[in-house]
Amino acid sequence: MKYDLIVIGSGPGGYVAAIRGAQLGMKTAIVEKYPTLGGTCLNVGCIPSKALLDSTEHYHNAAHTFKTHGIDLKDLKVNLKQMIARKDDVVKQNVDGIQYLMKKNKIDVHQGLGSFVDKNTIKVTKDDGKSEEITGKNIIIATGSKPSSLPFIEIDKKRIITSTEALKMNEVPKHMIVIGGGVIGMELGSVYARMGAKVSVVEFMDSLIPSMDKTMGKELQKSLKKLGFEFYLKHKVTAVKNRGKEVTVTAENSKGEAVEVKGDYVLVSIGRRPYTEGLNAEAAGVKINDRGQVEVDEHLKTSVDNIYAIGDVVKGAMLAHKAEEEGVLVVEQLAGQKPHINYNLIPGVVYTWPEVAAVGLTEEQLKEKGIKYKTGKFPFMASGRARASMDTDGLVKVLADASTDEILGVHMIGPRTADMIAEAVVAMEYRASAEDIARMSHAHPTYTEAFKEACLAATENRALHI
Amino acid sequence: MSLEIKVPAVGESITEVTIGQWFKNSGDYVEMDEVICELESDKATFELTAEAAGVLTTKAEAGDTLEIGAVICEIDTNASEGDAAPAEEKKEESKPAEKTSNGGGKTGEVKDMVVPTVGESITEVTLATWLKEDGDFVELDEIIAEVDSDKATFELPAEAQGILRHVAAEGDTLEIGGMICKIEVVEGDAPSESAGESTAETTPSSNGDSYAAGHASPAAAKILAEKGIDAKSVKGTGKDGRITKEDAEKAQKPAPKPAAPQASKAPAKEAAPEAPKVAGERNTKREKMTSLRKTISKRLVAAKNETAMLTTFNEVNMKPIMDLRKQYKEMFKEKHNVNLGFMSFFTKAVCVALQEWPAVNAQIDGNELVYHDFCDVSIAVSAPKGLVVPVIRNAEALSFDQIEKEVVRLATKARDGKLTIEEMTGGTFTITNGGIFGSMMSTPIINQPQSAILGMHNIVERPMAVNGEVKILPMMYVALSYDHRIIDGRESVSFLVRVKQLLEDPARLLLGV
Repeated sequence: MKYDLIVIGSGPGGYVAAIRGAQLGMKTAIVEKYPTLGGTCLNVGCIPSKALLDSTEHYHNAAHTFKTHGIDLKDLKVNLKQMIARKDDVVKQNVDGIQYLMKKNKIDVHQGLGSFVDKNTIKVTKDDGKSEEITGKNIIIATGSKPSSLPFIEIDKKRIITSTEALKMNEVPKHMIVIGGGVIGMELGSVYARMGAKVSVVEFMDSLIPSMDKTMGKELQKSLKKLGFEFYLKHKVTAVKNRGKEVTVTAENSKGEAVEVKGDYVLVSIGRRPYTEGLNAEAAGVKINDRGQVEVDEHLKTSVDNIYAIGDVVKGAMLAHKAEEEGVLVVEQLAGQKPHINYNLIPGVVYTWPEVAAVGLTEEQLKEKGIKYKTGKFPFMASGRARASMDTDGLVKVLADASTDEILGVHMIGPRTADMIAEAVVAMEYRASAEDIARMSHAHPTYTEAFKEACLAATENRALHI
Repeated sequence: MSLEIKVPAVGESITEVTIGQWFKNSGDYVEMDEVICELESDKATFELTAEAAGVLTTKAEAGDTLEIGAVICEIDTNASEGDAAPAEEKKEESKPAEKTSNGGGKTGEVKDMVVPTVGESITEVTLATWLKEDGDFVELDEIIAEVDSDKATFELPAEAQGILRHVAAEGDTLEIGGMICKIEVVEGDAPSESAGESTAETTPSSNGDSYAAGHASPAAAKILAEKGIDAKSVKGTGKDGRITKEDAEKAQKPAPKPAAPQASKAPAKEAAPEAPKVAGERNTKREKMTSLRKTISKRLVAAKNETAMLTTFNEVNMKPIMDLRKQYKEMFKEKHNVNLGFMSFFTKAVCVALQEWPAVNAQIDGNELVYHDFCDVSIAVSAPKGLVVPVIRNAEALSFDQIEKEVVRLATKARDGKLTIEEMTGGTFTITNGGIFGSMMSTPIINQPQSAILGMHNIVERPMAVNGEVKILPMMYVALSYDHRIIDGRESVSFLVRVKQLLEDPARLLLGV
């Protein structure tokens, strides 16, 4: 078959690119190695983890806050099997949804491992070994990423696991050791901590979620401590051993002393690496750099003229919404349009509770760049809405230019901040000043008032409710 | 009171006229009956005179086409001569951005900088790069921009000290005398940064010069990018001057303002191409011709059309020169600190031959023939922006090493785009070497107003019959294109044969035989 556009990988970057291609009149095919569409995000990432986070949040509330709310419960217990089954159902609904979208947009789905034969030809090898070749004028590599590990850790998928296995556990761990204080570790650690597991986090850096503003890491650490997390920051993991029913993690603290942590499961969540195995990119002449990323220019074009790459497999943050924007960008470019992505304004979110969300520059980045800025903070403790819901952890922090008052960064930790950050993105895309937001009416009582108050604080330190 | 001046009826069948050029600018004081602009109809060009004395306000621009009876300008008859200058100044100050930047040392004087006359034949230049940003403080004589003409790249020095205000944008084609920028003259030292900050603070934030003015929203930015419009040229109607999607949709490319109406047609065509729905191997790219490219094309076509050009060929055994070079290469380099190349041999040989066949070194000027007793040899050099032909002056009097040094000097300057017009003007004969790109045989085009050009080619080993035996020799074809109007066949062929003789036996160069 001959196509205008072939997309390899059906994650949020790939399937969105395919749909946009079809919308623009291109004859489009998508190649997916796994039997279900949707990639990491839908199958073993964002969606299933959010499903479990939601279930366990309900459980946690039932166990800890219902009594205060005036709801008495007897015999509360976790039915993990049902919880996982519901999660699987959510995943199925979502991947079926993508299947429907492909059909609706007349996109051919080729199930099998896609690999380059030459710069226009893709060989699709099915699980039964049969293969077919399809050709495309333009090709988008959207093969995503896989959990990465350390050379001395053997992931046995039983006791020493990655995020993928953590989404289908048969039991609630007694003591889960999380290696890596990043987003994935904190989210999945939360899932099991809420169900009663003791969670210990071993992190090499001096703070959690280290890529985000320092305040966020500190606040998150406070909240997770309340949930029963233990932290071993500035600890370098040196060995991980599976001893049957027990796992030992050995780490070296900042003084160089060996520390041993024992648990029944170890979640290795030190990040993800670009995934290009079996792609045979060399056959097309596509360059892959020493970090395993497909090399692309600012138009996301690879070293080969008609081949593009998007999402986790290229440079930049590994986020589904970043991949989506890139997918749209590439296809619109192919259609002769001139879209643009403002990478500085791609929000980052962490689905712990409280949620963490951020967009723009961090305080550390502003200092490094020598930009003079003002800070406005507002704690959820002072929000009527937050008190009514008993979700008073966290704060909103707005960083604005000292002379122009333009908002340069917004960092939120608190209830529903993952949704609230959208307002900050809109504001910053339009280069709003802190006072602009402060002068817009925000409904009461809502969590979003906290953003307005933080902007007031940033403008002239004139927050009203603190 | 204000008097409207309308396009007068100029002839029976004429319904519209085009403004050729304004002799007076808006804000100028004009006397009654003074010529204020030139109008062109399809039949003739005529001048428009002021119907009264006063201060002029133009209502149309050069290049605009107006119907008979349309208002072309207004004259404020109440204004006296002295009012003219303030009126202009008022106009300057009406832009808030400029107002706020008025610092301590400002004199209020604004220096208009126009494209200087850079050479006789140059009528327009292209603004290549702004080296100073709009709003920058510039010192007197500081280089503020690079300007390309069809011949060379110039640096433009500031004509005053003060705040630079761009008028033309990069890539604009400007006529000689066209406005490039203004400098708001500031006396004394550059305003210190703290002073700048304090003025910024005192500026009320509501007056439209917000940091966000001209910022395009995401959708607007995409639309502008696709239309190829710079956000700077769009007036934002959103909050604090932000560019909304509607602004972007309505935005049009700023119309280029060439004086000649024909010229305005070309850019209009450029705006036309729309990207294909599905891009692929059928994509095309359009870019504006540089002035240099335009001139090259004009001159090449002219040479073909205006001369009786034809080409004669010969071939040269390069072995003697190659042997000579092999033998003296090191010594030459040591003594003169320059490589001994082929260029010096060819230049010397050509000079000898030119002096023997003066018609080849002559030019036609109207009804006269101009003979030169000197040989200014132009050498064609492929420079990044296109072909240029710097001149080796009095090549007949130069030694081998002087020629080689001159070639290196000129070629280096050509590659860096640093050749001056002076260095490219004149020339009585041209040598071009297509051989460096591998050309075996070609017919060069005369570099007008010269009458002949010698084409060198690559050196290839060929079997040659020498005294009844086949010998492998390094051979080069040489071509002489010449203007048959001035050079007869006997002269051109003899000239080329003479060059061949001198090259095949370089000792003759020494002895002049």
